[in-house]
Amino acid sequence: MTSETVNSAEPVRVARRRGIDGWRWAGRIFLTLLVGFTIMPMFWMVITSLKTGFAAMQYPPQWWPASPTLDNYWRLLDPNGSVGRDFLRYFWNSMFVSVATTVLAVLVAVPAAYAFSRFRFPGRNFLFFAILLRNMFPAVVFLVPLFILMRVLGLVNTHGSLILTYLTFGLPLAIWLLKGFYDNIPIQLEQAARIDGATRFQAFFHIVMPLSTPGIIATSIYSFIGAWNEYIYAYTFLTRHDQMTLPVGIQRFFSENATDWPGLMAATFLMSVPVVVLFLVLQKYFVRALTEGAVKH
Amino acid sequence: MAQVVLKDLVKTYGSVYAAKDVSLTVNDGEFVALVGPSGCGKTTTLNLVAGLIPITSGDIVIGDRIVNDLDPKDRDIAMVFQNYALYPQKTVFQNLAFPLMMRKLPKDEIDRKVREAAKVLDITHLLERKPRELSGGQQQRVALGRALVRDPAVFLMDEPLSNLDAKLRVQMRSEIKRFHQDLNATIIYVTHDQLEAVTMADKMAVMNGGLLQQYDTPANVFANPVNMFVASFVGSPAMSLVPLELSSSNGQSALTSAEGWSLPLSERNARKVAGASSNKVVLGARHSTINLHKTQMPGTVPARVYTVEPTGDITFVQAFLAGAIVNISLPPSVVVAPDEQVWLEFDQDRIHLFDGQTEMALRAD
Repeated sequence: MTSETVNSAEPVRVARRRGIDGWRWAGRIFLTLLVGFTIMPMFWMVITSLKTGFAAMQYPPQWWPASPTLDNYWRLLDPNGSVGRDFLRYFWNSMFVSVATTVLAVLVAVPAAYAFSRFRFPGRNFLFFAILLRNMFPAVVFLVPLFILMRVLGLVNTHGSLILTYLTFGLPLAIWLLKGFYDNIPIQLEQAARIDGATRFQAFFHIVMPLSTPGIIATSIYSFIGAWNEYIYAYTFLTRHDQMTLPVGIQRFFSENATDWPGLMAATFLMSVPVVVLFLVLQKYFVRALTEGAVKH
Repeated sequence: MAQVVLKDLVKTYGSVYAAKDVSLTVNDGEFVALVGPSGCGKTTTLNLVAGLIPITSGDIVIGDRIVNDLDPKDRDIAMVFQNYALYPQKTVFQNLAFPLMMRKLPKDEIDRKVREAAKVLDITHLLERKPRELSGGQQQRVALGRALVRDPAVFLMDEPLSNLDAKLRVQMRSEIKRFHQDLNATIIYVTHDQLEAVTMADKMAVMNGGLLQQYDTPANVFANPVNMFVASFVGSPAMSLVPLELSSSNGQSALTSAEGWSLPLSERNARKVAGASSNKVVLGARHSTINLHKTQMPGTVPARVYTVEPTGDITFVQAFLAGAIVNISLPPSVVVAPDEQVWLEFDQDRIHLFDGQTEMALRAD
């Protein structure tokens, strides 16, 4: 009797629950504020770099320069002017140190990460933990010991001191990151290659390395940016003007009497260009899931 | 093509034996299946032959060479992996060309051989695609193609069909069998599916716990399993095994159950059980050799129906007999119900008897 009653009843249409829109809007507003917070300094940097020294100091501030000028940029990029000559020298120094750090980091991290991923050797876990230990301390802790070490090695006032230091800081994460990539490449691909006639090295070179390209690129960007932006070690290890890197060098815009804000902002903008370009060019490699379809899981 | 000989092959990890004293000969042109449950050592054995893992002791002979210390690339083998292991960044053509490229063949010869192999496997139209653009069956074919393009001495196959759906698996099964016949290839094929082994292989090597249990033709393994493991592993549904006690009165041997019934043994079977190490004997019977009766008859033993599984042309019945489950197959015309009392009749010429202690088959001589 009860079952009949139930059967004859019309199914009830259950409406989708409303009322979460409030949260959704709150989320949107929060994210918009967050984006504004992030973009504002960059916007202000660009705007200020287009102003004259006088316009930059005006109050209330101009949100858009009344007469925008590129003079600040020309000054920085003029190899014959005193400012331009120094700026381009710093730029070149930074580029050299960062590229060298990146190339060396990849050259060391790739085989190291591969070894941690594929080989079982005594002390493997300990070593893997040990390389991460560095990252548990703030960089500044190592400043004095490393300076003493560099002095003993005669590396103070050379770019070598910075490259070595940046490698020390960059490699642990690079190895960790790349190991994750190698862990995800099925070992059967290498085994197949070795059966197909490749040596272990050829299997790595022809099969595994191309598949880890996204990892290598991510590692490169990470190392490059770390070296490009680093300040405190560059400030400590280098005292000669012609050796300085950009973060240290652009301090010259702060002088005892006045700060050349538009010049400083133009220099900062130019300094961020390589990093932005690097990201734009290489970002597709981050997204591309190369191993997709390699094997069935 | 070549012969493969494994002599007392041992692989240990610490104190664990992954493969223990495995010895077998794969003749030139033979299709041998290594079969067993997960962790039985079959894949380890295959990887030892391939050279992907080093052997602990023993010898591997391929053709006329002892290859123990050779790199995989120098063993003249080809391998098909369970997950196909196609190079994802390369096209099908480049995948097939890779083994030839590594052997530094001239370009036009590589091109010719790749197209030849592609034609054999009917994948010519896929040559420019990447592996991820292929279906499972097509990937499988490319994997086979990469193996055969080089004309190796031995083909090693590690569960090549287990990633395919049921229908495709049956189709590829016959294709691989055809592939073997056409090329007269020496093949070592690892599978956990005894049906694949029985249907495809010339010989099957049943493994368990790192030990080779039995190495013979599928027909012989099916008809004369050497022990209870092989008996229960090969055949579907599995052979039923009923633990019983041996008794004898007035010179007549019989198997008795705790339930009280007893099954008199034929003269030949009595000779078999005479060699048992104790009075514990296990009765084995395949589903097709057991008759089911609805009424008690001479020589029958009582059982109770547990489940009934009609499949269309055959109905499988599981019944409780002396505490064990027994599989019986019936024509669909016979209707039985769960919990029904039935009587089972065993064919004395076709039952198997095992030593309850050693689990080994009891023989008449």
